[in-house]
Amino acid sequence: MVSLAALEQRRATLEGLRAALAAGYRAASPEAFTLAEESVVRSGLGTLDAALGGGFPRGVVATLEGAPGSGRSAVAARLLASATAGGGLGAIVEAPAGPEGSFYPPALVAAGVDLERLLVVRAGDAASIARAADILLRSAAFGIVVIPALELRATVWTRLASLTHRANALLLAIGSTASDELRYFASLRVRLQPAQVRFAGESGLFCAVAGIDVEAAVLKHKRAAPGRRAHFSCATFERSGAPLCALRERSLENATRAAAVAW
Amino acid sequence: MPIVCALVPNYEVAVARLDDAALRERPLIVADRLERGHAIALDEAAFALGARAGMTLVQAAACAREAAIAVDDPLRNRALWERALEALDTASPLVEDAGNGTAYLEMRGIAGFERDWLASVRDAFAQDPELAALPLRAALGPNKFVARAAALVRDGNVVHAGDERAFVAPLPLPVLGLERALLERLELFGVTNLRTLAALPHGPFVRRFGPEAARWHALAGGVDESPLVPRARRITIDRSLYGEGTAEREDQLLFALRTLVAGVADDVALLGKRCGALRLELECEDGERILLATTLAQPTAQPATLFDLLRARLEGVVLRSPVTGLRLGAERLEAGGSELSLFANRDPDPEIVGIALARLEAALGPQAALRARVVAGNRYEARVAYEPFTAARVVRAPQAAATRTTAAVPEAGTLAYRVLEPRAIEVRLQGGCPAFVAGRSVLDAAGPWRVDEAWWAHALDTGGRPIASDAYDVLLDDGALCRIVNERDRWYLCGTYD
Repeated sequence: MVSLAALEQRRATLEGLRAALAAGYRAASPEAFTLAEESVVRSGLGTLDAALGGGFPRGVVATLEGAPGSGRSAVAARLLASATAGGGLGAIVEAPAGPEGSFYPPALVAAGVDLERLLVVRAGDAASIARAADILLRSAAFGIVVIPALELRATVWTRLASLTHRANALLLAIGSTASDELRYFASLRVRLQPAQVRFAGESGLFCAVAGIDVEAAVLKHKRAAPGRRAHFSCATFERSGAPLCALRERSLENATRAAAVAW
Repeated sequence: MPIVCALVPNYEVAVARLDDAALRERPLIVADRLERGHAIALDEAAFALGARAGMTLVQAAACAREAAIAVDDPLRNRALWERALEALDTASPLVEDAGNGTAYLEMRGIAGFERDWLASVRDAFAQDPELAALPLRAALGPNKFVARAAALVRDGNVVHAGDERAFVAPLPLPVLGLERALLERLELFGVTNLRTLAALPHGPFVRRFGPEAARWHALAGGVDESPLVPRARRITIDRSLYGEGTAEREDQLLFALRTLVAGVADDVALLGKRCGALRLELECEDGERILLATTLAQPTAQPATLFDLLRARLEGVVLRSPVTGLRLGAERLEAGGSELSLFANRDPDPEIVGIALARLEAALGPQAALRARVVAGNRYEARVAYEPFTAARVVRAPQAAATRTTAAVPEAGTLAYRVLEPRAIEVRLQGGCPAFVAGRSVLDAAGPWRVDEAWWAHALDTGGRPIASDAYDVLLDDGALCRIVNERDRWYLCGTYD
């Protein structure tokens, strides 16, 4: 014969076990990898943010890797837009004479970047770019700093990563590939590939680029689960490019994935 | 109130001729820069040939082919005018700086008569050989507008109180300094000089042309109630430090520098000012003197900030012998600072941004920190202009700060574009369209979009043809989406979509 008190005790024990089990389940579920609102910079691209656990984490070095045309700059522009629209400052350190060229401000404006709050630093070589990034991060006034993915010594990346963490900023390196040192010090690596290019109109004079579809893969994420994938679209920044004619899609499934740094 | 206007007409032209005697005999156009520059000032001969301020340099040169071209040097212009203002201080204690080439002097209470006052202004310029070579005009009037109009008409003009309305009546409308579109609009109404403008009924005129028109109407009657705003006197803050020994190590030098900076910062704060530039002079044991000038993007009086900046400036300096003395001067003393926004707690501190900008300038040289601006243009690359990034503008207006601006970010992604330095590439055509670009096959192509520019430039080295270019967007077999341009039968890669 079991007493009523013993039953109550058994029920309470079972409830406790269920709660512990649920907590353990939550810790292992994808929701557990969601980063807090204030600790991320959102790109505004829903699938990409979801794959990253809410957005690009602050205080880390992140890379956007992919060949030109893969949408790296488009994602960087969205992050700059997010940072400047909220009242913060963003910075781009670039080498206009280099193989990657420079950002095109009208396209940044179309992406929502406030040019009043965007610092553009022109630097000639890798050392100058690293020094400029060092100065900007040390000031802690810039929420996001975009630099080319450079081949720098490990000591330089150590310093930049430390300053990024101290400033709670996002240091975003974009390039075709990441060097071994950068791969090590980056807390987040995203690989981008164009899936298809959309044209408005058939061909020739009455045809225009309407946008691209991009596939993103999270190669490394030290604050959330890596290995996730995302798919998003980017439309042209030209107002005149708004498709009045039928859209035509050109798949890049069979395209040669040669690194386009040969330019 | 008697006011003398000291006027150097076409000041930029006058300074350019001062520096280069060869320019004195020819019509002259002063441009902001040679490459893609614009005419910012020109003399009467160049004007008569058809050149106008605001034209591109190529346009102006095409209109006035005989004219010489000089590049403007704003720093030199300003430095010379500062000297002129210093010289004018000997003629009157109250001198207003109305921009390069124009100054007003209040002469009330100054001994002498009208001609003596004008002579004293000329004497002030005559003391300096460079200023003496400038084509100075001095004229007297009862207010600033009339004094300036009198100087524009003739050197040595004197307009007495009570005569101002009659004096300005026959003057043409450009004396008012209005925009060309507005002048044309007024001419459509039959208003060609100040007499006809003053004769218009005040109320209807202001209602049609806006509140600013009330001032023009008053000026047309010779009435200018704007007060003379004397320029601030130059204040010098300078301290030096000479110890018994020498500073051989970096920490010794920095210790001495910290002491010096604290003293200078105290002096600056005592005057209620902020320092916009620093001048540090290091005197070494071997007699060498090293001068380091540093500009602060944001004026400040904080010793920590000043010291931090000077330490950054010292980073790249190599000293061959121990330092025996230091001398630190604070320059560009300004009052006040940036207005801080009550609601913008995420706005960065302008002083911190200012320090970062100064560090960038010290590390990468001037013109390294820029702010982009979108402008109108035919070509992609012509739609962007860059200007120096200033810390003062990072603080938003309270209204802007209180408004959430996140709505400005579009929902969908936006394709970006990267501008490359134009590089020549090989392009093979099939049926008039690009088929192979730099050895890669073209999967798809859009274009051509033709841009005709400089149709008036037949006389340039275009072989009698206008400058035209055909742009294509091509998708290559490796997935790259590029913009290529055909100009004068050569192909260039100009950018990539990314």
